[in-house]
Amino acid sequence: MKRSVVKAYILKEFTELFRSKLIIMVYLMPSMIMLLFGYGIHMEVTHARTLIIDNDQSHFSRMLTAKFEHSTYFNAEVTLMSETEALHRIKQAKADIIVIIPSSFEKRLLHGQKSEIGVFVDGAFPNRGMTMESYVQGVILDTAQQIGGTLGKRGGMITVNSRNLFNQAMRDEDAIVPGLIGLVLLVAPAILSALMIVKEKERGTIFNFYASPLGRGEFLAAKLIPGFLLHSLNIFILFLWATELFGVPFRGSFWLYWLAAEIYILISLSIGMLISVITKQQIVAVVLTIIITIIPGFLYSGILMPISSMAGESYIEAHLFPVMYFNHIVYDSFLAGTGLASAKTVEYLGILILYAVIFLTLGTFLLKKELK
Amino acid sequence: MSRIFWVVFGKETLSFLRSIGLVAAVLYSFTADIYIAGKGIQITPRNVKIGYVDDTGGGISQKILSRLHKPEFLPPRRFKSQEALSRAIFDKEILVGILFDQDFEKDFRQGKKAQLNLLLDATAASQSFTTLGYLQNIVMDFSRPNFPVVIKSHKLFNQNADNHSFMALTEMLSVITLLIVILTAVVFVREKEEGTWDIMLLMPVNPKLIILAKSLSQVMIVMAGVLLALGFVIFGAFDTPMNGSFWAFMLLTFFYSFSSAGIGLFVAAVSKSTMQVAQLSIVIMMPLIFLSGAWTPIYAMHPVLQFLSLFSPLRYYIEGSESIFFRGTDLIDLWPYFGGVLLLGVLLYWYGFRKIGKLF
Repeated sequence: MKRSVVKAYILKEFTELFRSKLIIMVYLMPSMIMLLFGYGIHMEVTHARTLIIDNDQSHFSRMLTAKFEHSTYFNAEVTLMSETEALHRIKQAKADIIVIIPSSFEKRLLHGQKSEIGVFVDGAFPNRGMTMESYVQGVILDTAQQIGGTLGKRGGMITVNSRNLFNQAMRDEDAIVPGLIGLVLLVAPAILSALMIVKEKERGTIFNFYASPLGRGEFLAAKLIPGFLLHSLNIFILFLWATELFGVPFRGSFWLYWLAAEIYILISLSIGMLISVITKQQIVAVVLTIIITIIPGFLYSGILMPISSMAGESYIEAHLFPVMYFNHIVYDSFLAGTGLASAKTVEYLGILILYAVIFLTLGTFLLKKELK
Repeated sequence: MSRIFWVVFGKETLSFLRSIGLVAAVLYSFTADIYIAGKGIQITPRNVKIGYVDDTGGGISQKILSRLHKPEFLPPRRFKSQEALSRAIFDKEILVGILFDQDFEKDFRQGKKAQLNLLLDATAASQSFTTLGYLQNIVMDFSRPNFPVVIKSHKLFNQNADNHSFMALTEMLSVITLLIVILTAVVFVREKEEGTWDIMLLMPVNPKLIILAKSLSQVMIVMAGVLLALGFVIFGAFDTPMNGSFWAFMLLTFFYSFSSAGIGLFVAAVSKSTMQVAQLSIVIMMPLIFLSGAWTPIYAMHPVLQFLSLFSPLRYYIEGSESIFFRGTDLIDLWPYFGGVLLLGVLLYWYGFRKIGKLF
């Protein structure tokens, strides 16, 4: 072990990070992604622009339109425009929902006949379309129940009373922000370390390493330690954003979260390092790192959908990326708090350690210390 | 004049093609990456694991459970007690728990309000939302004979809520943004790093011509990638409908690429090394993507963000592309998108032009 050489290398990397002002990015980028995503993503749909074509203008139809007008989910506008005109508004993306109340709505209901309400939803965004559709159905069925009540109709009624575990209020923040930590701590360290070695290759300074007494493992350690130390601080910064700014509860053990996050940073750093070892040009390393980390980081983070209901290839891919394991632990420590008592958490922690070991040894083997 | 232009253009295209690693990375982003993104996410519930506790005799409860079938739901699993069910939800073995209490069937038969209790794993919020909607529909459907109102619901443009083509398209738009900014920026920064850029500017050639040729070469590379992605993934693998005009989309993409190249110019002007380009373009692109309305509709954003989003060319591009692909909007109604992309493009490009074209 040539401790003084390793120390000199680490010192050099630190100085470079400070001189090139990259140190600002190390702390700016994670927090920025966190704030943007945290405020930017909403699964819930509010203020959907709704056109209600009321052809009936009766007591019942007004009961229905009032329900829409009083809901924060909709920005309702009652009009008398034609159906084609309203559809054209949707095509221009100026409206999201059309509700059409037929002309004999009240009369038919009073006669006990069935009456049909037409609903058109903009499905160009599938997720939003589905959510809006279910909201509209909810409002209409709710009104129908009321009308049914005034008409004196009787019959068994089933109401659904749902209780949400871990996230009672179904707050978007609680569902999204912990997952973001997994995404941020994958992307930011990887991009930092991706250029570490390839930069020297492109500039030719890698020969310094070839000629130096340093071993391959020591070289990698010298390259990774600065990033590791700097990003360790981000674990706490992100934690504070999540709990203080977004108000996400933290129910689990902080030590577990910390430990898992440190291992996870090591994994993302070594992913970047692997890319750096393989590629020859900086730009290739940049593009590859972004594409490889951001997409799976987001898809398989559990923010958009639970892994358990993925099917086929995406199920396998999700298990190949380390995000899933880390995010399980993060979500658990933030919202559920079972911690190491659950066998699954222990298993996933083990898998994370395995990933770190595999990546680091792979990097050591692939790095060359001589001219080809 | 035009000879110089084409020589620079050809040089940049050639040096791109010669770098095998870069070609491979770009090809990967435009094909496999978009495919993975499109394939990966299915927003309609699939294989949702359901558990239930049934304290009734099991007449109506079984009828309701029998409506939860494949492919949305796996066969419901029975639990002895609520505690056992809760524990399974904690371990993520079950996503939705249904509790039929003792009075449920009695109340229903007597015409009173019967209450169905659900336990949802809300760490998977979007999935829980949709599953809840599904269940509500099933239950409503079950007692519908009592309702005098029928809802006839249509989802326009995408009746089955097919999420694959949507995700693939969104991913392609992000890849275009990402690549055009980084590629353009690096083309210039590499010369800066090697010190040849100052010499370029000192030569008796109009620097505007060089800048234009260099960025056009990168725009063309990305356009070729877009064609590949459209052919193999968007139309090939996912069978995305094209309700509008194909050429309108290509034209919009071309304009958009230029306005993003303008951002690339700016990044190149500010940064000194590829490392800085990488970090800066992410810092610039993230807000761009999140202000574009790809994740949250613009009108549901904070008013300040709504105002800021007016300056994101991606906003006009995404809205325009979705209108062309799914809504099949007429060419005349597309003018706001073309106008927005063009105006911002000219501004960004002009600014980047001035920044990078200055010697010191």
